[in-house]
Amino acid sequence: MGSIGDSTLQALTLLFSGDRALWEIIGISFKVSLTALAIATPIALALAFLLAFGRFPGRRLLIAVFNTLLSFPAVVVGLTFYLLLSRQGPLGDLQLLFTQPAMVIGQIALALPILVAMGHAALQSVSRRAWETARTLGASVLGAVFTLVREARFALLGAILAGFGRIIAEVGASMMLGGNILHYTRNIPTAIALETSKGEFAQGIALGIVLLLMAFLLNGLLQFLQGKGRQVA
Amino acid sequence: MTEIRFERISKRFGDRDILDDVCVSLVSGECQLLCGANGAGKSTLLRILAGMEAPNGCDVVDAGQTRRWRRVKANLLRDVIYLHQLPYLFAGTVAYNLNYPLRGSRATRAAQVRRGLEWSGLTALADQPVHQLSGGERQRVALARAWLRGPKIMLLDEPTTNMDQGCRRRTVELLASLKETGVALVVATHDTGHFADIGDRVLRLENAVLREESSGSTPYPEKVTPITARARTA
Repeated sequence: MGSIGDSTLQALTLLFSGDRALWEIIGISFKVSLTALAIATPIALALAFLLAFGRFPGRRLLIAVFNTLLSFPAVVVGLTFYLLLSRQGPLGDLQLLFTQPAMVIGQIALALPILVAMGHAALQSVSRRAWETARTLGASVLGAVFTLVREARFALLGAILAGFGRIIAEVGASMMLGGNILHYTRNIPTAIALETSKGEFAQGIALGIVLLLMAFLLNGLLQFLQGKGRQVA
Repeated sequence: MTEIRFERISKRFGDRDILDDVCVSLVSGECQLLCGANGAGKSTLLRILAGMEAPNGCDVVDAGQTRRWRRVKANLLRDVIYLHQLPYLFAGTVAYNLNYPLRGSRATRAAQVRRGLEWSGLTALADQPVHQLSGGERQRVALARAWLRGPKIMLLDEPTTNMDQGCRRRTVELLASLKETGVALVVATHDTGHFADIGDRVLRLENAVLREESSGSTPYPEKVTPITARARTA
């Protein structure tokens, strides 16, 4: 095992030399996570809207459930869907286990609670007067919904970024549902886990740098959006 | 002349009657002042008239037809504008807010926005973000936006609260202008004196019952027009 300095130097070389294997792993990570986010976001926003403005029995319970799911461990989500998708499971016939769609399903399950909880908070922060004003000014129900989403856009974008941050870096569900198959389901966190277990640190560090840079970028964006949100409030 | 009459309005929150067999007529070009203590139900009444809050009971007589409130709710939402005590302005500029209720081509809407800005004296603030406006300016933006919608009926909840004299005067001038164009106005207020120049009648909501103030107690009895509201005379 080389020194940390040597490994870091090798990692940077891998990153900047455009190492194909490394960038393929990064590509798979982004493809899977962005697909999961694209599917989860509209569902989560609809749920968040219902929780923020709907009045129905069980609403408070549902809010509590989503808040509880926020701390649901990724590995338990992985286990749950592994049991559902495995050959003996109720969804075994779909033959999705160890595929990218299985990883997408797991990441949707992980992203939904954070998107719903943060989306609910974002929409709830918009005054009910916004809805009433839109309606009294002639907006249709759908038009009023779009108006509210526009009013809460910075906070909602913050929720989406937080959701993305949660799923791009999770290892448990991806490992169990994707199987860490090279060129297909190996993504950044599963590759880091594998390379570390093999004692090959260069690629792990390179991928770690990518995750760190992304976390920094996402947090910067979140801060910026939260600032913008406060500015227009 | 447009007249729409709300009959037998009742509303209850839990065990408490907020409105009990209240009747209100809205007549084009008439301004009614609605007063009452805090929590008397003024806002609730306005929101029912605006189609925003469901009453426990209410019949609406419009164009000679009597229908249940829920049957005309969509019409009320279309024809009536309700302005909150603190009007909500959408994030963006003054011009964006005036553009909100408008339909049609970009050029038509731009021309209408210009008219709205001139009408409300806000031309200089067209590109100003609304979060930088004062309370009085926000109220004027809300009024201009409502004016551009071309409402038949406008309901205002305490429109001059916390305003200085100058802002209040400008707001009342804009309301007078709306009244002249035939808009039926109902203004919920604690101080009917602020609207002495435009108010035609004073209605008082007390103990869930709406009464028209007797001419002796109204601050400007000579302006009271013949009764079209079936408000109970005290």
